[in-house]
Amino acid sequence: MGSELARRLAAAAVCAVAVCTLTTRVDAEAAAWWTRVALAGSDLSQVRADGATVIVRTRGGSTLMSTDSARSFSPVQGNPQVTVPPQTRSGDDTWIVTSAGSVLHAHGSASLAPDPDSPDLGPGAHLLAAPASLPGVVVAVATDGTVWRRDMAGGWGRALLLLPAGLTSGVPRITAVAAFTQPVTNTVYLSTDGYSVLLSTDGGDDWIHANPGLPDSVAALAADSASRVLYAATPDGLYMHGLQAFPAPPAYHDAALALRWLGTALVALLAAASAVVALSRAMMPRRRTR
Amino acid sequence: MRSAVWWPCAATLVLGTAALGAALLVPYTFSDPNGVDPYVARISGVAVLLLVVAYARADLASTRPVLLALTAVTASFTLLAATPQILVDLFGDRAPSGDAQVFWASLAQLVATLALMWLAWRRTPPTLVPKLRIEKLGWLAAAVAVGASALLVLVMLALPASLLGRLALQPVALTRDLPWLWPANALQGLSQELQFRGLLMGALERVMSKGWANVAQACFFGFSHLAVNYQGPVAPFVPVTIAVGLVLGWMVQRTGSLWPAVIVHAVADILITIGVVSGLYGF
Repeated sequence: MGSELARRLAAAAVCAVAVCTLTTRVDAEAAAWWTRVALAGSDLSQVRADGATVIVRTRGGSTLMSTDSARSFSPVQGNPQVTVPPQTRSGDDTWIVTSAGSVLHAHGSASLAPDPDSPDLGPGAHLLAAPASLPGVVVAVATDGTVWRRDMAGGWGRALLLLPAGLTSGVPRITAVAAFTQPVTNTVYLSTDGYSVLLSTDGGDDWIHANPGLPDSVAALAADSASRVLYAATPDGLYMHGLQAFPAPPAYHDAALALRWLGTALVALLAAASAVVALSRAMMPRRRTR
Repeated sequence: MRSAVWWPCAATLVLGTAALGAALLVPYTFSDPNGVDPYVARISGVAVLLLVVAYARADLASTRPVLLALTAVTASFTLLAATPQILVDLFGDRAPSGDAQVFWASLAQLVATLALMWLAWRRTPPTLVPKLRIEKLGWLAAAVAVGASALLVLVMLALPASLLGRLALQPVALTRDLPWLWPANALQGLSQELQFRGLLMGALERVMSKGWANVAQACFFGFSHLAVNYQGPVAPFVPVTIAVGLVLGWMVQRTGSLWPAVIVHAVADILITIGVVSGLYGF
């Protein structure tokens, strides 16, 4: 009786595994979140991108340029500085951080004026980004490291405060903030020199750690709307992220879903039945032996 | 060994854990269950089946207290995970916000836990009724709760941020979320302490020493976290949660009260909500 039951349970298990194995669909793997595209081992401090043209600056003071989407780089004569101006355009809006740390805004051809209720970012603040797909939204970084966000209605609020990396180490520095200037995604990206890259898809309210594939230290970011690519300058070369959906469990339908449920239920039933058999044996009184 | 008083509970915990582990992990070898069973209903099914059989058969009566605890852990977790989707299915556009859904899910988890506690209290022989230790708080327990919570904050700040994922505070999001999430975290802490340090450890203590009861519940507490974060690799998290389970169990045994563990557990969950920045694959 017991062995018959065991045989049936084993047969059911084999059938379950066979059904589920045969019906398993192998989804095409999503592209890696970050991949190194060039200049492995080079300590980069800055990057700018415009279509197929990508310019990087090394900590050693060299400026390199690629005209084939970062496949190959060649030196730029005179090694000019690569700078990112403290301003951005988003649709018809222009946003600027003054040298004193004030945020100025202009819509269309209007002249620049202080944005009402904008915070004082502090002298020298220069990091800001505005995703074109969220008109009115701005993310700016103050000199004390506070990340501010402006919502679409014009209200400003503290969006992000980095915490110390450890007991003896300090708070990582925010090195760049970037967004696409064409409406290709809502995402705003923020790089740090300790926590790699964080991103927000809702205009700076909520943030996600988007580091897979990247070093902990990222010196600069550059978003290129034409190629839908984000570049990251790091101490170990230039990395690239192509726009893609977030990783998510696959969704099954119809027969694929039904068969998977069947297999899962069979496994659970088999596990429960095995446990009942084992418990029954375990609870039997011990046989006396002479 | 089978005649030992601890044998039925110990065997039930080991075999029950093995069955739950098989039901949880075996499907990973042939399919991706996340897209099919994201609420791990399969392990709740196993626990409920075992409990039904235990109540149907007199020879398995001694297994009931531990199986009640395992059912409380698994079934209430499935309810916690699935309630937001149930609310959306029931109310459509009128469903509460995401944060409110988490609160109602946490409340549902507590109600399910209390229902199984009631079953344990009413349907278990008096000698096997779990020691829940919910009657008293006391000055010692209150002091331990405050001190341990403060220590927890210091430890979390001292450990490397990348290890814990406690990268940043998000003031805008916290202002929006915390009114719902801190009560939700508190309810989850209460439910889980009632399950692990109340029902399970309390049942084991009836038949074995406090030390072994604590080790056993802490191991189950650690392994049960394999079911929690299915979006990423969590195996390294198991030894950490076993250690946390040991500390919480020790606190309960030393103070004679479940409440310090409830408070510390709730504080830990709230700190995770406040300081941990989730990744692309979840926490």
